Amino acid sequence: MSNEFLKVENVSKSYVGVKALDHVSMTVEKGKVHCLVGENGSGKSTLIKAIAGVIPIDDGEIIINGKPYTHLRAIDSIREGIQVIYQDLSLFPNLTIAENISLNQMVERRKKLLKWSEVRSFALSELDKIGISLSVDDLVEDLSMANRQIVAIVRALTQGTRLIFMDEPTTALTKKEIDSLFSIIMDLKEQGISTVFVSHKLSEVLEIAEKIAVLRDGKIVGEFDTAELDTDKLVYHMTGKKIEHTTFEYKGREEEAGPLLEVKNLTKRGNYEDISFELHEGEIMGITGLLGSGRTELALSLFGLNSPDSGKININGKRVHINSPREAVRLGISYVPEDRHHQGLFLDQSIGNNIIVTVLRRLLNRLSFISELKKTAFIDKYARELRIKTPSLGAPVDSLSGGNQQRVVIAKWLATDPKILILDGPTVGIDIASKGEIHNMITDLAGKGIGIIIISDEIPEVFHNCNRVMIMRDGKKIVEVDPKSTSEEELYETVKKKAAAAGRY
Amino acid sequence: MFERLFRKHETYLLIIIIVYSIVVTSVNKSFMSFENLFDIIRGSAGMGILAMGVLVALLSGGIDVSFTAVAISGGYISVRLIMATGWSNLFMAFLISCVVGIAFGTINGLIISYFKLPTLITTLGTLNAFHGILTTFVGTESVNAREMPECFVRFGSAKIIKLANDQGGTYGLSVFLIPLIAVIILTWFILRFTMLGRGIFAIGSNRESAVRAGFNIKAIQMFIYAYIGFLAGVMGVVAVSEVRWVNPVYLVGTELTVIAAVVIGGTKLTGGSGTILGTILGVGIVRILYNTLVLLGLSAAWNNFFVGIIIIASVAITSYRNKLKAYRSLTFRV
Repeated sequence: MSNEFLKVENVSKSYVGVKALDHVSMTVEKGKVHCLVGENGSGKSTLIKAIAGVIPIDDGEIIINGKPYTHLRAIDSIREGIQVIYQDLSLFPNLTIAENISLNQMVERRKKLLKWSEVRSFALSELDKIGISLSVDDLVEDLSMANRQIVAIVRALTQGTRLIFMDEPTTALTKKEIDSLFSIIMDLKEQGISTVFVSHKLSEVLEIAEKIAVLRDGKIVGEFDTAELDTDKLVYHMTGKKIEHTTFEYKGREEEAGPLLEVKNLTKRGNYEDISFELHEGEIMGITGLLGSGRTELALSLFGLNSPDSGKININGKRVHINSPREAVRLGISYVPEDRHHQGLFLDQSIGNNIIVTVLRRLLNRLSFISELKKTAFIDKYARELRIKTPSLGAPVDSLSGGNQQRVVIAKWLATDPKILILDGPTVGIDIASKGEIHNMITDLAGKGIGIIIISDEIPEVFHNCNRVMIMRDGKKIVEVDPKSTSEEELYETVKKKAAAAGRY
Repeated sequence: MFERLFRKHETYLLIIIIVYSIVVTSVNKSFMSFENLFDIIRGSAGMGILAMGVLVALLSGGIDVSFTAVAISGGYISVRLIMATGWSNLFMAFLISCVVGIAFGTINGLIISYFKLPTLITTLGTLNAFHGILTTFVGTESVNAREMPECFVRFGSAKIIKLANDQGGTYGLSVFLIPLIAVIILTWFILRFTMLGRGIFAIGSNRESAVRAGFNIKAIQMFIYAYIGFLAGVMGVVAVSEVRWVNPVYLVGTELTVIAAVVIGGTKLTGGSGTILGTILGVGIVRILYNTLVLLGLSAAWNNFFVGIIIIASVAITSYRNKLKAYRSLTFRV
């Protein structure tokens, strides 16, 4: 009698010369919570897709409930009780919540005809089981990220599910919602349903998992009991290196220097209210807070994309009105966006083109055509300075890893010689090694006198890299904290406590 | 409740039709007559049947531009075969035409689902290929009203309701309405009540998710293009009966107008979104325009111009509303 539900045995998968999975073996036990960790590019997504039957494997076997498969199809995996909640949630945006929840079921049960009353009542009863109510006739494309997550989870929990994969489920959730998710996973465990949780957030992994499997470069480094591991050990297994924590040291402001950026009583209805702060040259200020606190909206206002209703913005003592990104750049403000793929890059353009796109005017020759000479020199300079790793700068930028892509976005904005650099979620979804390098890059920039604002969810990130942290909640500034005067845990508690104090939990 | 109504695209189309009808009637009273209405219906049947096919293709995130070649192939082959064999029977006519249609449609389906070629390129190619096959292997002779087999002629002039007009002639509601309504109901049923139909929406909405959910993408795509072929076959018979004349050069070239009608009806070219009602109204607008420009004193040459304006207006309005939504939620993704 085996308590193994899933056994992956020596599975390999290659894509045009790249070995995505190299003799991977992994076990998932019934009713246990497993975590799968690995850097970007380690093969996590490939492994999940192979187990889900969405991609075929070259070698090896996938044994589900004792039944071996060498050619697993998606419908087989689903029928065996395996459900995957992908990072993109795999929902159908143009269809209603009811349909999204019920469709998988209907496909699996080989139904040919639809009864709409059944679709709706099924969806309603499933939502009820989790204790959540949503208007099931709404289109998924109109839902918030958190609600979409709920729909995805509810869909995966339909009858007969024995194993759920959750790929980075917490990226867009608030702490409260993450706690709800964890309690759902615990409920599942009690029902004998296994969960495999994939996440970059090591603190979460260590909190929820019973067993952790580590993937590196397509190979399984090991399957560990959580008790054996801590953050540093985990990072070591994931990267093969020991990562050092460096802390940012602020040089201190010069005697006479006024603030680089002054924001006074800035208000935008529905986004944020009465925000005031100062930023000096060479400072790195962090803005953090739970989701929905108004951080990005505030940043967009400083970049000309979200005009505030009232309040003042001064740069070097002079009042400014920032009405467009173009003006923001002229004033020396650059913004590295949260959504790298859709707002930061031209994915099918080359790496080089992505870098120079903000400064084309500077690369013109006498005939007002772009000078190839100037262009190449410029691109090479920034690629070198930011250590963008690629076989060719002419390759399309979507061929790069997350970390390298982020460097391209930063390069693009550094090219404009900003005085103020705002980075929104600069290391989201980036592997640990690159994270550290990007943080070092940012602290170097501060050393050169640029005023930097980092907006982030990750307490360690703002704790180690900022000399000041502003905490926002529900659009208001709650407090400014000096990391030196507190500890990481205390900072975390403050962010949570302020929310608790307001009765949010 | 009213708010929901005004958010729907179809409401605006209906308003446009009503307002336009009032304007036209004030210029020329003969617009608002049963005779004219029946005439519009008779002329719309063909486009309506094809539009249902285009709707299904667009819903799946694909497109088919070869349907006119399939339709004329079906119609022409049906006429010539019946002329040659003497089986002058409407049922035979439809049977032959639909078999031809399904055959050609299946070829499209095979190329698209098994070779995984993009739908536009494929059907652009087959549009020319099918047409070429028709003219090369079947012939290019026209068949005029005298030579046309009786079954087609009778089909073309049969009426459901017969009425007399002031000049002593008769007019009536053409039986073309029957295949049109049958096709509409069939398409509606498939799209709304079968998993096959929901699969079509799923593929158009998010193809990767459809794969992950276990939908049989290949089978669904084969169905889509074979179904369009079937509809084209039906339309082929209607078309040749309508004008009582057939020549292989007829119909081909009108694809874009049918697609325009479907797009005007609110169907997104990106897939996953579109309604039967919207498509019917879109066809309605295009056909009413064709019918009335002459009544308004404008030559028929203005047809394309106005259809073009409505396409641009219709797509612009939807685009603008999407853009507002994106900017308000600060996602800037249009």
